[in-house]
Amino acid sequence: MAALSAWQERLEETALAPVRRTGLRYWALVAFLLAVIGWGVYAYSIQLRDGLIVTGMRDRISWGLYIATFVFFIGISHAGTLISAILRVSQARWRTPVTRMAEFITVVALVCGASFVIIDLGRPDRVLNVFVYGRWQSPIIWDVLAITTYLTASITYLFVPMIPDLALFRDRLSGRTSRWRGWLYRAVAIGWVGNVAQRRSLGTAIGVLMILIIPIAVSVHTVVSWVFAMTLRVPWNSALFGAFFVAGAIFSGIAMLIIVMAILRRAYSLQEYVTEKHFVYLGYLMAAFAGIMIYANISELITHGYKMEEGVEFQFRQLFLTQFGPLFWFYLLGGLVAPIVLALLPRTRNVPGMVLAAGLVTTAMWIERYIIVVSGLRVPLMPYEPASYAPTWVEWSMLAAGLALFALLITIFTKVFPIIAVWEVAEDHEAMLARPDIARPAALKTPELAEGAGR
Amino acid sequence: MNLITRRAAWAAIVFLAVGASAVALAGPAFASHVSVRTTVPAEMTVGDTVRIPVALSAADGAPLQGATVVFYLHASFAGVVGEAEIGRAVTDETGAAALPYRPRLAGQHEIRIEYVTPGQGAVEEVSTVFDVIGGEQLYRSAPGIDIPGLNVGLLIAVVAAVWTILFGVALLLVAIARAGGEGGAPGGGEAG
Repeated sequence: MAALSAWQERLEETALAPVRRTGLRYWALVAFLLAVIGWGVYAYSIQLRDGLIVTGMRDRISWGLYIATFVFFIGISHAGTLISAILRVSQARWRTPVTRMAEFITVVALVCGASFVIIDLGRPDRVLNVFVYGRWQSPIIWDVLAITTYLTASITYLFVPMIPDLALFRDRLSGRTSRWRGWLYRAVAIGWVGNVAQRRSLGTAIGVLMILIIPIAVSVHTVVSWVFAMTLRVPWNSALFGAFFVAGAIFSGIAMLIIVMAILRRAYSLQEYVTEKHFVYLGYLMAAFAGIMIYANISELITHGYKMEEGVEFQFRQLFLTQFGPLFWFYLLGGLVAPIVLALLPRTRNVPGMVLAAGLVTTAMWIERYIIVVSGLRVPLMPYEPASYAPTWVEWSMLAAGLALFALLITIFTKVFPIIAVWEVAEDHEAMLARPDIARPAALKTPELAEGAGR
Repeated sequence: MNLITRRAAWAAIVFLAVGASAVALAGPAFASHVSVRTTVPAEMTVGDTVRIPVALSAADGAPLQGATVVFYLHASFAGVVGEAEIGRAVTDETGAAALPYRPRLAGQHEIRIEYVTPGQGAVEEVSTVFDVIGGEQLYRSAPGIDIPGLNVGLLIAVVAAVWTILFGVALLLVAIARAGGEGGAPGGGEAG
């Protein structure tokens, strides 16, 4: 009992540590990220002043880096859904230490992704036109509905399981932190004392949300794909697009989660809770989705290539041989094949190997979104010379600022909110101690997988 | 030249210019060896189908039969200005040919009529200009398939159901807050 109490105390201290201690490196990181965002704000001011002419987008290729990044961010927002909801529904106990990080990623990625749509508009005030002149029959309206619903549900799903941990912060930091923090934790803990009625309500809320958020998340990326697939463009003319986008979203979401896990694990010394096992298990999931993506690509390419309708030949030529050849081959080999190899080889089945695979996947999936958007618009609709598109410094600056905003929001979140779902990890640990035959100690085991994961 | 003489000269010039314009627009147009007569209504409406008649006759007044007449519409689209062929007709035994034409845009329409004189092989032309008014939307998309129940109402129902569930979760949060205020047996700070 004393050992359990000491373990619980250590867990709580680990969760509280980021809030209690802030080093110089943290402020240096925040300053760097703010500088990048500041540069992006400057670039955006140029775009606001001069219009979208400062971008590489023109009448024929009217979507570019911004929309590719929007799709990319919406994709990685599926990390939270997968880890928190699907694994929670399937009662995969190993998920508990990484749940909160995945939920952070979901909310932050949605905020960043949605902002890129407004950036792409050129005139941000015209976002109101969607509400004033929007038509129910338009996929754009479905997109707005799906994303706003998903953002609301994700924020709720981040908040609800966090309530007991926020109460922990309220109690443990009372009088030992700044006034605004004390007020914040009192407000967001909504009077949690952990009584039976509260626990019952919390359990019901989590149960409802984890079921509800899965179809919402699937609908979001399906609808995002329909923005393309319901347009009369040869490369987008596919019934597979919805499933393809959802699989790609979960795929890139896992990759981003692995990267964020690795950074936070190192920054906040979470090695005891976020173990190599979590990386390897997520690596397996990532490899499985890489397999699904390979299958989807083959199905898509063979179906189109066999019929070779007008425009497909142009598309295939630019994908495999000319304009987008290097990017597309990197996506296929570096983003889909290599992660499977890295997850299967015992030598690379460890934290660095999985982080490398996740880095490849994240890069490749951004490239894939870019290729889908730009190559699709490049196929001529009439017999004219194909248009060209190259992002300008303004667009690259906005991309850098978007990524910096993503990193900054995660960084700030970790300094304010508990990065580990303390009560869930503790509950899992207690269950493991009570029934050691049904669960391996997710929060205690570390060394075995380093040499022999999955053997 | 006194004032009256000058006025008379100007009046004659204006009269000749107006007369020449009227002849150019409503024919007959005199080419080197054929005369062309084409008359169009002064004003048309978008969507109305009208006939643009052409009558070719030789210099001696005899109708020209079997001449091919080509009609071009002067147009500008997306910054490109040029002519588009809109139809062809062959003159009958009275020397007449006609093109059914349905203007789809309001504004001034300029049609150039080109013909080849039989035997001579020379290409000659005449132009006519007329105004088209109205703004009726002529394109109608196909109605598609109407599946009962599969419509906007269903979409709204699904979205409303999801938001109702989310509202239910919000009520649970209110219940949690109220249960905390009422006190009760602590459950160890954990959720079940």
